[in-house]
Amino acid sequence: MKRSRLPIWITVGALIFFYLPILILVLNSFNASRFGTGWQGFSLKWYAQLLHEPEIWLAARNSFLVAFGATALSVVLGTAAAFALHRFAGSRLQRFHYALVYMPLVVPEILMGISLLMAFAATGVRLGLGTIFVAHVTFCVSFVAMTVLARLQDFDDAVVEAARDLGAGWGVTFRRIVLPMIAPGIAAGALLAFTLSIDDFVITFFVAGPGSTTLPIRIYSMIKFGSPPLINALSTILLFVTFTAVILSQRISSPRR
Amino acid sequence: MKAGPRKRGAEWLASGPSILWLGLFFLVPTLLVFVLAFRPSNPFGGIGAGWTLDNIRRLTDPAMLAVARRTLEISLATTLICLVLAVPVGYTLARVSAKWRNFFLMLVIIPFWTNFLIRVFAWKTLLHPDGPIKQVLAFLGLVPAGASLLYRPEAVVLVSVYTFLPFTILPIYAAAEKFDFRLMEAARDLGARPFLAFRKVFLPGIRRGLITAVLFVFIPALGSYVIPDIVGGPGGEMIGNKIAQRVFVDRNLPLASALSVVLILSVLAPLISVLLLQPKGERPEIL
Amino acid sequence: MSEFLEFRGVSKRFGTVQAVADVSLEVRKGEVFSLLGPSGCGKTTMLRLAAGFERPDAGHVLLDGEDITDLPPEKRKVNTIFQSYALFPHMTVRENIAFGLRVAKRPKSEIDDEVDRMLRLIRMADQADKKPDLLSGGQKQRVAIARALVNKPQVLLLDEPLAALDLKLRQRMLIELDMIHDEVGITFLYVTHDQGEAMGLSDRIAVMDSGRIEQVGTPVEIYEAPRTSFVAAFIGDTNFLDGEVTGLEDAEYSRLEIAGVPGIVCFNDKAIQAGQPVFLSIRPEKVHISRDKPEAEKLRNMLPAVVEDVIYLGSTTKYWVRAGKIRIQVLRQHSRFFLDEKPIRWNDEVWVWWHGDDGFMLERYREVDEDLLAMPPRKVGESDGGNRR
Repeated sequence: MKRSRLPIWITVGALIFFYLPILILVLNSFNASRFGTGWQGFSLKWYAQLLHEPEIWLAARNSFLVAFGATALSVVLGTAAAFALHRFAGSRLQRFHYALVYMPLVVPEILMGISLLMAFAATGVRLGLGTIFVAHVTFCVSFVAMTVLARLQDFDDAVVEAARDLGAGWGVTFRRIVLPMIAPGIAAGALLAFTLSIDDFVITFFVAGPGSTTLPIRIYSMIKFGSPPLINALSTILLFVTFTAVILSQRISSPRR
Repeated sequence: MKAGPRKRGAEWLASGPSILWLGLFFLVPTLLVFVLAFRPSNPFGGIGAGWTLDNIRRLTDPAMLAVARRTLEISLATTLICLVLAVPVGYTLARVSAKWRNFFLMLVIIPFWTNFLIRVFAWKTLLHPDGPIKQVLAFLGLVPAGASLLYRPEAVVLVSVYTFLPFTILPIYAAAEKFDFRLMEAARDLGARPFLAFRKVFLPGIRRGLITAVLFVFIPALGSYVIPDIVGGPGGEMIGNKIAQRVFVDRNLPLASALSVVLILSVLAPLISVLLLQPKGERPEIL
Repeated sequence: MSEFLEFRGVSKRFGTVQAVADVSLEVRKGEVFSLLGPSGCGKTTMLRLAAGFERPDAGHVLLDGEDITDLPPEKRKVNTIFQSYALFPHMTVRENIAFGLRVAKRPKSEIDDEVDRMLRLIRMADQADKKPDLLSGGQKQRVAIARALVNKPQVLLLDEPLAALDLKLRQRMLIELDMIHDEVGITFLYVTHDQGEAMGLSDRIAVMDSGRIEQVGTPVEIYEAPRTSFVAAFIGDTNFLDGEVTGLEDAEYSRLEIAGVPGIVCFNDKAIQAGQPVFLSIRPEKVHISRDKPEAEKLRNMLPAVVEDVIYLGSTTKYWVRAGKIRIQVLRQHSRFFLDEKPIRWNDEVWVWWHGDDGFMLERYREVDEDLLAMPPRKVGESDGGNRR
């Protein structure tokens, strides 16, 4: 049956479309030229310069601090939420709960950012790493909850009955059976939360105070006011880090058979 | 089966923390935005006392309306282009063998996992007047030598398509994967030419995926801030930029709130219409 | 003291559905007892009541004389084989089997010995360190059995254990289950919708429908002497003939009139009186067919008939014949080389006959039970003759 080649060509085109800017970026990070308009030789000088930018390291430190903290709390809140949504699905409370958890996923970031800023302004809370932390937890909870919920829905409930049938009480069943089985789902949720937190710009931008910068905010000001080649180098490093994290996440959530 | 009191308690215990947190830091602030839209702004950049409709009135300024219209146009254009590109890609991905499929999916997802700002910045470099694309196009005579590809609505659409395309491909792919392609064979068997079968059998078959894809592009596009900020320039400003300007430049929080209310309503409109128009069993799946 | 499992007047309802309605049953020690019935009949609910995953709304469950109605599953000395096996995916075969013993905090040496013994019993000693996702359906099932048996429960509950297997495997596993039961001697409570499994494996069967027990008996009793139309139609095939008792043939036999044909004889163990309407059920293999008129004998029911349908199945042939207004299905086994015979064909005139001992009168007949039979559709425009009121 003769099939049109068009979809395949569009797919290939789309993939080229995706990677072109990134390739240019990575290439330019090794480009000795400052403006990236012509190749002036291979150089690592931008990377070297990057090492001497203390503000970037401070921003990176802040990003990691917030990310670890936000991941930890959002994993706890999100996993509990997923359990409730799965176990008690259908009750009126859970329908409200589901809508509440679902909304942050569809609402544009700027709305979350501005509403939190208003709330902090109205209550006189000082903006800083603390407010960034709160904001990050707020959007991460939903992602963790949905990830774990998807895992729970695939969960074979008969396994829990089997454990009880064989003599295990609720405590042992939870520790020895349920937890190990959903651990990969929780890990995937945690990794997702961590990546989202490290990467977030818009919400962080609105609720960050003058003294607290995260890496994305630093990158933004560099884009607006700073030196392009440094951004290229930084981006390449981040690319590499995220790439590794994604591979890890795939290995954890779907082990090779 | 009615849950006994012990079960009820367990439900509150498990749901409580997340409901509390999200209620406090998501629901309440959102409601606060609605309230603040009706308050005057304090000359020192805070929130004044009393109530006013001033902010609502200023929404109808021609400048504001122009921005609103531009936001809608850019979002619609982005959504349309994304759909047109995503459907063939999703179709292809669903038809290749499983081995290739995972590989291609990874290829689609990897850029999506890199930092968003960086990708937008990469486009700024690419679209720069001295950048490669402009040079090629000028060489081919497609654009005049003095034109700028940056700082215009078209640049915003281009970069938006770039950003949101993966979000469109994935739900369409997910729906296409579940689609029974033998239906296409049946259509061909009954005399339909390939494109007709595609239009009349495949597209309706992945309807849920299409709707999810539209929601995943249109709504975030409405709320764009970074893309118009970096590559849009004054000619490409969207409502998100206006909100940010009111906050950081004018320090006029109530007006920013009023603008946000507009954005919230324009986001709710498609969501609610999808919810209402779909029969219960046909709600689009969320990835 | 015999270990046995007893249900006394148990009832269970889910929402508006009465899954089990006032059921009483006794399972004897060491026997294989099956609950047989279509989906939704309540058999799985009964099993879950025995396991402790459901609490009865009324009634009691007793094990070895002790009331376990309020005992949670982890405290009952019964173990379940789940339909989906429910093996722990993150544990190896060995760890799965050992789970119950580890929970009971047995000494390690004892656990190792028992697990090894089980692995030998199910012949999977070389797969002990594999995880369940690498096992086939039959292997998973054996691990599930071992995991349950190693705890030496008083009763083993099996929930449609063969349902997920394909035909050939099912037949082999049925034999294996039989062997395991012989070797281990534990009481089995077996739930299935497949009559072949139930008949082949069980010492006794309880046929269930809509939350009630229709009949309890050995496989032979259930097959040869069904009490209701449901049991007669659910197990195997049968003919339902609508008639009326006209009198007594002698002390044990009644005379019936069926669709205007008088003088049909049938064994009457149900003391049905003259003048009462009744349904006569006769299984197809008990009816004989031939071109020649047979000898008239005492207690032999003979009818001239015309052949309407023939289905050749290899070892047997099914015939549908019409005798006046009566339509009868006949199953004939070919115990001689068939090509030597002149086969009976459509529209042939034949004689069918059966012995008065071989039919049975039903205590209860419901028309809807006829849907359980595998009969060809009736020809359009034809009256239903003696098979419907």
